[in-house]
Amino acid sequence: MELLTMILDRINYVGAATLFVIGLYTVLTHPNLLKKVIGLNIMETSVFLFMVSVGYVSGGKAPILGTVKEPIVGAYVNPLPTAMILTGIVVAVSITAYALSLIIKIYEAYGTIELDEIMEARSEQANG
Amino acid sequence: MDSTQLPLILLITLLIGAIITPLIMKKFNWIGKRMIIGIMSLAVLMSGYLLFDVFQNGAYLYNIGNWDPKIGIQFNIDEFSTFMAFFIILLAFLIIIYSIRDIEHEIFPLQIPVYYSLVFLLLLGMVGITFTNDLFNTYVFMEILAMTSCAIISIKRKKANYMAAFKYLMLNTLASISFLLGIALLYMATGYLNINEIGNVIGEAWELYPTNILLALGFIATGLGIKAAVFPLHTWLPDAHSNAPTPSSALLSGLVVKVYIFVSLKIVFRVVGADITLDNLGINNFIAYFAAVGMVAGSVFAIGQKDIKRLLAYSSVAQLGYIFLGIGMGTAAGLTAGLFHVISHGLMKTALFLSAGAIIYKTEKRNVDDLAGIGYEMPITMLVFSIAALGMIGIPGMSGFMSKWYLALAVLEAEQPLYLVVILISSFLNAVYYLPIIISAFLKPREDGSEEMTRDGIPKSMIGPMAIIAGLVVLIGFFPQIILNIIEKAVLTFI
Repeated sequence: MELLTMILDRINYVGAATLFVIGLYTVLTHPNLLKKVIGLNIMETSVFLFMVSVGYVSGGKAPILGTVKEPIVGAYVNPLPTAMILTGIVVAVSITAYALSLIIKIYEAYGTIELDEIMEARSEQANG
Repeated sequence: MDSTQLPLILLITLLIGAIITPLIMKKFNWIGKRMIIGIMSLAVLMSGYLLFDVFQNGAYLYNIGNWDPKIGIQFNIDEFSTFMAFFIILLAFLIIIYSIRDIEHEIFPLQIPVYYSLVFLLLLGMVGITFTNDLFNTYVFMEILAMTSCAIISIKRKKANYMAAFKYLMLNTLASISFLLGIALLYMATGYLNINEIGNVIGEAWELYPTNILLALGFIATGLGIKAAVFPLHTWLPDAHSNAPTPSSALLSGLVVKVYIFVSLKIVFRVVGADITLDNLGINNFIAYFAAVGMVAGSVFAIGQKDIKRLLAYSSVAQLGYIFLGIGMGTAAGLTAGLFHVISHGLMKTALFLSAGAIIYKTEKRNVDDLAGIGYEMPITMLVFSIAALGMIGIPGMSGFMSKWYLALAVLEAEQPLYLVVILISSFLNAVYYLPIIISAFLKPREDGSEEMTRDGIPKSMIGPMAIIAGLVVLIGFFPQIILNIIEKAVLTFI
């Protein structure tokens, strides 16, 4: 029971670690290039989740000022990690876009996006 | 003149270059060429002035937008960062002059303006990483660098380039994610992202959360290890560097991998601090092991290569080992030797890639065995190649010899003579694959049997930069003090 509450208290971090491993496994083992990109996205999400969790204060409010500039009463969530993750998401999107466009080019060149088939085609080309 | 704003202006100049190049240049005409050269010379002047200013008036910290460094972005303008920025921009300037004629051969005319846009962004990323004093900002610049360095490979429309770029992109992104997770863990333990602020509280944090910091170091080391091609993580490098267009290969091999070494130096010596990384964990020993394995293995792989650019790429893996070995000694002398080799390898490998590119430009020969007698066909190009290759082997009189000399002294000073044997073995292996090329180029008869000496037959704007770089290699070989004095001051900012 104690273990269960311990895990539940840190569920964000456990989730982030699980997603990270799932993503890494997909990137490293899956022969389909598209799924590799998906795996990378899962990994990125896990890091974002982790970083946002670092800045979370339990019971804290969103650090947003009202229309009149008034100080926030009570605890508020650390806005810095959230702001940084916004940048991180932009980076992730642009990398995904670039990777997908490369995959289209690879498909045009080789006629497949399975890594093992591409490798076969390349080794045939090299030998014959 | 007040130069406080100059670091930011330098970055903005590069950014403007990246934006207006594709806008102004519809075709690759003389206006575009002059504009690119103009922007680059402006950048060279600015970075040169920054270097001069720092040595005259001392280092300073620059807060962007005057925000508090705890939440804002800070640049660290010191001897190390200005010198490396100057080196990056100067070498890139020479490569860009070379590229103006060469690139027409390699990619479609419509894409040339975009190519220069990418090169400017690449420079922005490199100079940014060198200047910045903020970990998250380092990550952002790193991603700019990662994407542009993949893009200048895939811009050449060939099957192999797409695969090489994709492989590079996947590993690069994996590395970036790993680095970001490391930063998040450090932020969790210390509450800061500014390198100096973390350095102040890291001792306390180490006592409270050693697991966090250890984990963070592990993730950061993996990330930077992939990006800097430390031996077992180098698999992307040969494909990427050998398939890229020649100017891209020179930029990637001569400069881009070095920038990640600067980041790792900052992490080891400034963020986590020598007390923890060197004394407590002994990270430097692991760096030195991997470096030593890489020095030998990279050279062994290079011996088997037939494609000249692939051979040079594998040789980079070995040469990066030298730099990491210097850092792995963990002493001031080792660091000096490592940074000296950053400069001398940058020059030599650029000269090698550019001269190999010139041979491909004229003769389309990429195979090492086809190069018999090329020394009579292209004397200046092969002279440049020979100077740089002899430097790689470590013949006295070239800058490569001096960096090996200082490395050997540092290894002996750290009382680890076993590494001296590794350096010697690696040098012999270098000779095994570089000397046959030089010998067959100058001593074997040409395939068509003619024996007369001809001019190189490549544009002057390609010969010029190569000759200047080869001249610098020899100059530093004879007068290493020119840059050694600056590097010794730069090392003081770390130790």
